Amino acid sequence: MIESPLVPTDTEKAPPRKKSRRSWTFDRISFVLVFLVLPLALFSVFVVWPFVQAFWYSLTDWSGFTADMNFIGVENYQKLFEDDIFMTALRNNVLLALVVPFVTVVLAFALATMITVGGSTYGATRGLKGSSFYRVVSFFPYTIPAIVIGLIWLQMFDPSNGLLNGVLTAVGLDGFDSFPWLGDERTAMPASMFVIIWGFVGFYMVLFVAAIKSVPGELYDAARIDGAGRFRTAFSVTLPLIRDNVQTAYIYLGILALDAFVYMVALNPGGGPENSTLVMPQRLLVTAFEKGQFGLASAMGVVMAVATLVFAALVFTVNRLVGGRPEGVRG
Amino acid sequence: MSIERKTVDRRTLLRGALAAAAVIPLSSTLAACAGSNSDSDDDSSKGGEKSADNPFGMAADSTTDAVIFDGGYGTDYVAFAATIMQKNHKGSTVKVSPTTEISQELQPRFVAGDPPDLIDNSGENSIGFATILDQVEDLSDVLDAENLEGTKIRDTLYEGVEAPGTFDGKLAALNYVMTVYAVWYSSSLFEENGWTPPKTWDEAIALGAEAKKAGKYLFLWGKEAATYYQTLAIASAIKQGGDEVRLALGNLEPNCWSMPAVQAVFEAMGTIVDRGYMKPGGAGTQFTAAQAQWSNNQDALLYPSGSWIENEMKDQTKAGFDMKGFPEMIVDDSSAMPWEALHAAAGEPFQVPSKGKNVPGGKELLRTMLSKEAATNFAKTKLAPTIVKDTVPADGFGSTALVSQTDMLKAAGPNVFTWTFVDLYGTNVDQLVVWNSFLAGKSSVKELTSRLQDITDKVREDDSIKKIPVT
Repeated sequence: MIESPLVPTDTEKAPPRKKSRRSWTFDRISFVLVFLVLPLALFSVFVVWPFVQAFWYSLTDWSGFTADMNFIGVENYQKLFEDDIFMTALRNNVLLALVVPFVTVVLAFALATMITVGGSTYGATRGLKGSSFYRVVSFFPYTIPAIVIGLIWLQMFDPSNGLLNGVLTAVGLDGFDSFPWLGDERTAMPASMFVIIWGFVGFYMVLFVAAIKSVPGELYDAARIDGAGRFRTAFSVTLPLIRDNVQTAYIYLGILALDAFVYMVALNPGGGPENSTLVMPQRLLVTAFEKGQFGLASAMGVVMAVATLVFAALVFTVNRLVGGRPEGVRG
Repeated sequence: MSIERKTVDRRTLLRGALAAAAVIPLSSTLAACAGSNSDSDDDSSKGGEKSADNPFGMAADSTTDAVIFDGGYGTDYVAFAATIMQKNHKGSTVKVSPTTEISQELQPRFVAGDPPDLIDNSGENSIGFATILDQVEDLSDVLDAENLEGTKIRDTLYEGVEAPGTFDGKLAALNYVMTVYAVWYSSSLFEENGWTPPKTWDEAIALGAEAKKAGKYLFLWGKEAATYYQTLAIASAIKQGGDEVRLALGNLEPNCWSMPAVQAVFEAMGTIVDRGYMKPGGAGTQFTAAQAQWSNNQDALLYPSGSWIENEMKDQTKAGFDMKGFPEMIVDDSSAMPWEALHAAAGEPFQVPSKGKNVPGGKELLRTMLSKEAATNFAKTKLAPTIVKDTVPADGFGSTALVSQTDMLKAAGPNVFTWTFVDLYGTNVDQLVVWNSFLAGKSSVKELTSRLQDITDKVREDDSIKKIPVT
């Protein structure tokens, strides 16, 4: 906040330097009201409060359709951890959180490097020929809504009329005739992961491209003079300099993977073969609205929130351990 | 690109304290939000005079609020009845609101004690019956009332239509549309090839061999609809084993899936799967796409489904398909019920919440819908019979499937049965997984049985789920 000595006040009898920073002028009060109290109140009512409320419901046996509820302590949580289907869903979410961010970030980073600094080693540091074309094309999937992506790939994976099996059988792989990609326990999860990754690589590539562009070109020139090849440049120059972006991307993707609701509902509304693609929010919705167990569903929501926080904490810790700047130090 | 980040310092701590200070006083006021409600059901008590034209005593110039599931049947048939009702009761208004998410939309209204006066609790997002059983009216008085033509409504309905809506002896829901569950086929295709609809599972297996010769399959399925085969199996087992089977399954008895009649049907289905009479890939096919492979490509001969199938596949049915249905197969001649016995249940459950502002209005709208004019209009526009008898003419408004439904109902006579435990306890989601694996040939009859039994046992042993005994 900038102190404004230009505004004269009545109390200004003492030397200006000693002016109390806590004098409650109209200016200051209105500022505090508009920029602190109001947003804080909105935040409390619409963000903090629902969290508190959901946590409270998770300790009750509320059905969701009456006003009555009884406090039952942690019984819902006990039930959850004994429920094999919910545990399957939790495991699937964890699997997604392990695979999807990693693969997406690696692919996006590789592509971003190719587009920005992976080009000819003669002359100025630059990307591959036609890189702007690749950049635009690979961003396309991100402009399509998630549900549409899901529905498009649902058609692609169709066992009888899908493009994928059409191509595979056309090149002579008859074993894929009517192969249910989304209906086979072995392939349903990888196929669903592929769809999510397909949708996000372009966006994170563009994010990394922007980050790499802000790295001074002289660093690359210097690395090249020292004899660093493309791989060495990517891992020793680019990656450390855009570490923060990678961390952010990782956390965003992790949060997405711990949800993944839209993709999974579009691809396999029922949770997939042997529940192999069932994710927690799907189970939550069924429990709340179909089975009328809002208390139990709230407990699932709390578990999801905790899982997400743990994931973010893990990413921060790993980043710190592998040599990220300590918290609070400016870059 | 580097944003200052700090660990928790004095300022953050203060900010946190401030936030907490703001939340605590708020929480006491908001705690009252969901937990309590003002009992506003006193409105419903002040009705008008009861008379022959107004058997439920709806107040004059009142408004009736109806929330209707906007699914395969749309909502215009309720609006049609609403128009008649507004004509009969000058000054009253009926508001018909369509929704596809009954549960999500009405949940807050139920909690607040302000539900609508009539709901069509149907579709994928319907509210579980057990959940709101205590909060809806017993609709027996609607059946005891006279329709607009002056006949007692109960006498105008098909047999057994109250069963699916009766829980614990209370008619909590009146299902409006008559749904006949059967095995559907193209009568023109069957005539061309000289095939006849199978009456027993052995005949079905023989037909499967015929189909194979013609380069087709006997059955096919889609992943969201794998439990249609469960419906087929249960119906077939009940016909074979009688009421004993129906009661055991409905009351979630131990080892109910191992009963001889159920096992015989499962074994027959297992044979069909093993011999490759089931089109592969169903576990990865969307159910409407799968159904189109039956109704348009004719890849398979038979499809078990409810009578909504004709309407659902209207745009994707081959010209000259001439869809017809036949009752589920039985195991052999020793069956407890004849082959003609029919799994038919009224669908589209209409319910009147007790806390609605205008309970008599909700019932009056239902009464209007059950009268000749509105019911005939439904059959004509939706090509499906309502629970009201004799609304379909001999030509079935040009639909072979509609004619075959009425024929099947007539042939079945009193042998009409249904069950509710799958919907009641919401187990379909879990059973889908089991059936998808079985139909894909990935699990044996033994595994199918034990996994279905596990699902049943889990519900039975969960004390927090209210059980409703079946008789």
